[in-house]
Amino acid sequence: MSSLPNSSSRKGFTRAQLIIFYLVMTLSLATGLALYTSATNIINLLRTATAGLFLPVLLSLILTFLLDPPVRYFERKGFNRTLGIFFVYILIAIIATLLAFWLIPYLDGMWSSLKTDLPRYTGKITGLVNELQNYLINKAPYVTEYDLPGKAKALAQRIAADILVETPKSALLIGSLMILVPLFSFFFLRDGHATIRKCVALTPNRHFEMAHDLSFLISRQLSEFIRGRIIEAFIVGLVVAIGLSMTDIRYAPLLGAFAGITNLIPYVGPIIGMVPGILIAFADLGIGGEFWWIVCVYILIAQIIVDSFILIPIFISRVSNLHPFIVIVAIIMGGKLSGVIGMIIGVPVASIIKIAVQSIMQYRHNFSLTRGEYEQE
Amino acid sequence: MNPLWSNIFSKKKQEESLAFFLGTVPVFAELSPKELHQLERLMHARDYAPFETVFEQGDPGSGMYVIRSGKVQVFSRNINKEEEELAVLGPGDFFGETTLTAPAARTAFVRTLEQSVLIGLFRADLLEMVQKQADIANKILMMLTRIMSERLLASNTEIIRLKTALENVNHHDE
Repeated sequence: MSSLPNSSSRKGFTRAQLIIFYLVMTLSLATGLALYTSATNIINLLRTATAGLFLPVLLSLILTFLLDPPVRYFERKGFNRTLGIFFVYILIAIIATLLAFWLIPYLDGMWSSLKTDLPRYTGKITGLVNELQNYLINKAPYVTEYDLPGKAKALAQRIAADILVETPKSALLIGSLMILVPLFSFFFLRDGHATIRKCVALTPNRHFEMAHDLSFLISRQLSEFIRGRIIEAFIVGLVVAIGLSMTDIRYAPLLGAFAGITNLIPYVGPIIGMVPGILIAFADLGIGGEFWWIVCVYILIAQIIVDSFILIPIFISRVSNLHPFIVIVAIIMGGKLSGVIGMIIGVPVASIIKIAVQSIMQYRHNFSLTRGEYEQE
Repeated sequence: MNPLWSNIFSKKKQEESLAFFLGTVPVFAELSPKELHQLERLMHARDYAPFETVFEQGDPGSGMYVIRSGKVQVFSRNINKEEEELAVLGPGDFFGETTLTAPAARTAFVRTLEQSVLIGLFRADLLEMVQKQADIANKILMMLTRIMSERLLASNTEIIRLKTALENVNHHDE
């Protein structure tokens, strides 16, 4: 016992110092833990608070990029920006009401016929899978152990049930979006520019000029890219819808809309987009002239001629494409984060990041060359 | 009236506003008061501490600065990295205008000599203006071109003068 104070004094610590040391250590550990748990709590709070905001904000941003050119047009005519936004909104409201008058009876009829048709289509698909299995059993008898038709039937029925149940439910969501999205877009259109300016103004003097220039370059490229993508998807959807209406296939406008939306995903999107169309064609029309015409519309006309030869060179040429690997990773990550919507927007978000990084690198590269010249002098 | 109250209710004097100040700068001299107010919204007022670097030679340049208050020093460095002063500029002077229309690297160093307020006009804002308020952009660009061509003319005469002086010296040596 008596040797303890001696040994501790030899090390240079008194007992009081050791106690304080332990106290400080415990305190800092406790603080660390408390900070960590409160940080996760705060992040969780933020996450729940912003959960419903993600989709409306995203759609409003897209709408903002789309509406910026017409608002600019009014601004150039000498109106102030707020008034310009009102003009554009009134124009859109008129067009939307006219469209609604024309579309609603049509959509209603389509919905009620879809309710009876969907089970028929799933039945047809299971029948098809059954045939496939019979064919396989003839070629390779060991397949019998696997209940392919049963699985296919369950899957098809689940998808059909999902569509029938979830669509009326999402009407509520669509209603809230119809209020929030125009409201948010209005603010983004009116104050977005000033807000970005204020954010850029926070950078220190030495880097302000570059930050200002880069924010201009990136936002210009982004708006070009997003506008291009949306117009491209719209035209592809329109071409598919028109091409399909030439045949006896039902739901041509719906299939066109689906093809347009999935067209936002490169590589994988167009293939997913054509699946329901080809299945319905197969179930209703059978393999014949019209079936092959539909396949032709999807692949040759919409994808190869219209999209690859006409639209991509016009709208997207300035932005180099993403590597297929990145596309797949972006789809998987998007899907994990926010389901089907995440899968659709994952790839555009990846492109946006790529555009930002690319313009920064381009900027640095351009000016590092001239800087080199000066240093040689 | 009590000076305290008169201070609160009176508007900022016309002479103190940024728009009025901009009207005294040659590049913006052609603009009307209304246009100057629109221009004011596109410009960036930045506060600088004494002896703060504004930009260095070789930096990516994207616009011009007008000195609202304070003083700046323009200088370059020679081969031995020693500073050589080119000019000292004061309120109302402007610099960096050559990079306003075309992206180019800065050709000199600039730093403040005292507490200063610099007003920046950058290419991004000018491009925006060309689209939205073409008449203002036109006037600015016309004045800018005029200033540049005057400078070009001056430097041409200077080159000719130096050339003849050099030839005279050569003749004298022979």
